[in-house]
Amino acid sequence: MNEEFLAAKELRKAFNGNVAVDVVSFSIMRKEIFGLLGPNGAGKTTTIRMMATVLPPDGGDVMVDGHSVLRHAGEVRKLIGVCPQELALYPELTALENLVFFGQMAGLGGKQAKEAAGENLLLVGLQDRAKDAVAKFSGGMKRRVNLAISLMSRPALLFLDEPTVGIDPQSRNHIFETVQRLRGEGMTVLYTTHYMEEADRLCDRLAIMDHGQLIAVGTPRELKAQIGQPEKVTLEEVFLSLTGRRLRD
Amino acid sequence: MLRPVHIALFEVRRYIVDRGDLAFSLALPMALFALMYGVFGGDETFNGTANVVDLDGGPAAQEFVSRLESVDGLQVRLRSLDEADRALARTSILTAIVIPPGFSDALAAGEPVKLTVKQRGTGGDEGQIVSSIALSVAQRIAAEVQARRWARTTMEGSAIPQPEIDQAAQAAVTQADADPAVDVAVVVEGESGRADGGQFVDRLLPGILVMFLMFAVTLSSQVIVDERRLGTLERLLTTRLTLNQLFAGKFLAGVARAMLQAVVLLALAYAVLRVGGPSSFFQALAFALLVAAAVGAIGLVIGAAARTREQATWAAVFFTMFMTIFGGTFFDPSETKALDVLSHVTLNRYAIDALEGITSGGKSFADYGVQAGIMAGVAVAALTVARWAFRRTVK
Ligand SMILES: Nc1ncnc2c1ncn2[C@@H]1O[C@H](COP(=O)(O)OP(=O)(O)OP(=O)(O)O)[C@@H](O)[C@H]1O
Ligand SMILES: [Mg+2]
Repeated sequence: MNEEFLAAKELRKAFNGNVAVDVVSFSIMRKEIFGLLGPNGAGKTTTIRMMATVLPPDGGDVMVDGHSVLRHAGEVRKLIGVCPQELALYPELTALENLVFFGQMAGLGGKQAKEAAGENLLLVGLQDRAKDAVAKFSGGMKRRVNLAISLMSRPALLFLDEPTVGIDPQSRNHIFETVQRLRGEGMTVLYTTHYMEEADRLCDRLAIMDHGQLIAVGTPRELKAQIGQPEKVTLEEVFLSLTGRRLRD
Repeated sequence: MLRPVHIALFEVRRYIVDRGDLAFSLALPMALFALMYGVFGGDETFNGTANVVDLDGGPAAQEFVSRLESVDGLQVRLRSLDEADRALARTSILTAIVIPPGFSDALAAGEPVKLTVKQRGTGGDEGQIVSSIALSVAQRIAAEVQARRWARTTMEGSAIPQPEIDQAAQAAVTQADADPAVDVAVVVEGESGRADGGQFVDRLLPGILVMFLMFAVTLSSQVIVDERRLGTLERLLTTRLTLNQLFAGKFLAGVARAMLQAVVLLALAYAVLRVGGPSSFFQALAFALLVAAAVGAIGLVIGAAARTREQATWAAVFFTMFMTIFGGTFFDPSETKALDVLSHVTLNRYAIDALEGITSGGKSFADYGVQAGIMAGVAVAALTVARWAFRRTVK
């Protein structure tokens, strides 16, 4: 559990002069569930996009299992799966078709992709709706398809950018259990969420970002200890005391 | 690597799964073709105009004109030689029948006569029908003049009563009709050049086919902005898919979608209109494939340059309209020099010329090496530019 699997080194990114990520460094250990928290606009998604090889950083680098996203993006892509914050699906096609296609793009053969699609639909509880067009799904079901797609290649490192936004407690719980099961199978997970109790329950370690900077890193207990007795304070209180109460964006 | 093929198949699947889109894209070319065929080509009865230049002015010439006028469905328009020449040059008419000076006298003297048919190219279907009507009318007049002359010379002054002379003359006409003693020759004075005004349908089919292939520009131009909007582009870029594979997949998808329409339209034309045999069908399809490749590649150039869906759509629509209009889909671009030159900067001109020859001109793919080379060249050049611009758009 102490082997470093991902290392972000002094990542920087600005959009038209507006700094979105401001010299951010952290590590994620193998088989860890690592939470990335922060108010809206803190730079979480931008950080993930750089780690996922789709957004070139202005400065710094990310090493995934020893491969640089700058120099060996191809190697990094073999290791990662991304569940983006915004749904990324083909709505007119069925859940199964979406999964099989992305499976093929991730390097699976036709038969393998179909098998994996079946397993992942089962995992997210959509096996009965496999042949329905995604456009007809509820918001929560689409979220689960979005998650299932990112699991198609059984990645060693999974980026989950707010996977539980806008879904009911049952679905959220289902996703929770899924993430824990995957970690049990050896997957390393980076998880962002605005639900503090969710992060508290799920994550081994957390990083809190604000204004593009990393302002705290540690286990939930360590972070709580910064402002009081860990048993008595909530993660939400830690978050608010670190990031302030002013509205963002 | 099969990934580009997977992308192409997947995209075709997305296209097909939207039944509305599909029905629209296939029904539209059929409906348009049926409509135009009905308007321009579907006449069962013949209707035409004979442009006649009477340089003779004698009684036989007048008889000739009035008999032409009495033919069902045929109007006669008398023109001066100058007028006819100018109309021919403009291709506003494709044939003119010229009655030479001395026509009546020669006929009366029992000498062979000539009618001159001036025409552009083959003169078109209408021109050919009019010429053959003119020939038979002239032959009949010649036969009658001949028979009357014979009856007059042999029976005049004899005691045979007039009605019997008439009867014999009539018999002689019938006889002469079957075996004319006087030759009426039609001399064709043609101008080389494209003669398609009269064969509207022959050119219409390739025109519409190419126009629909052109629509692939619009579809291809949107694939990248479309995937960006869905968020799937970024998702694809986190997989093992390389930019080259993505690019190849999008190109293949565009070609496949365009060919879907081409196959339907051509199959319909060959089945219903009996345009030609299977060999001609497959050659036309092969040429259509080249056109689809050129057009799909151009679509990707526009797609790679456009930042928004609107930009892509407008650029593609403008391109398509220009190519379709000035390429000669709906009129003959060889009518004026300027149009002729302009049409040669469009892909459509070359594509329509070749497809017309293959579908209805009795020619083969091999006769259109230049046109095929132009399609392939444009495809390669556009693919190179698009691939170069692609990285910038996708990132
Ligand atoms: N493509 C972009 N172009 C311009 N600015 C951007 C772009 N992406 C992000 N930003 C800006 O960068 C900053 C960080 O955005 P980011 O999406 O990373 O935040 P976040 O922490 O994921 O927020 P949220 O919790 O709302 O998802 C914001 O100010 C945002 O407006
Ligand atoms: Mg975000």
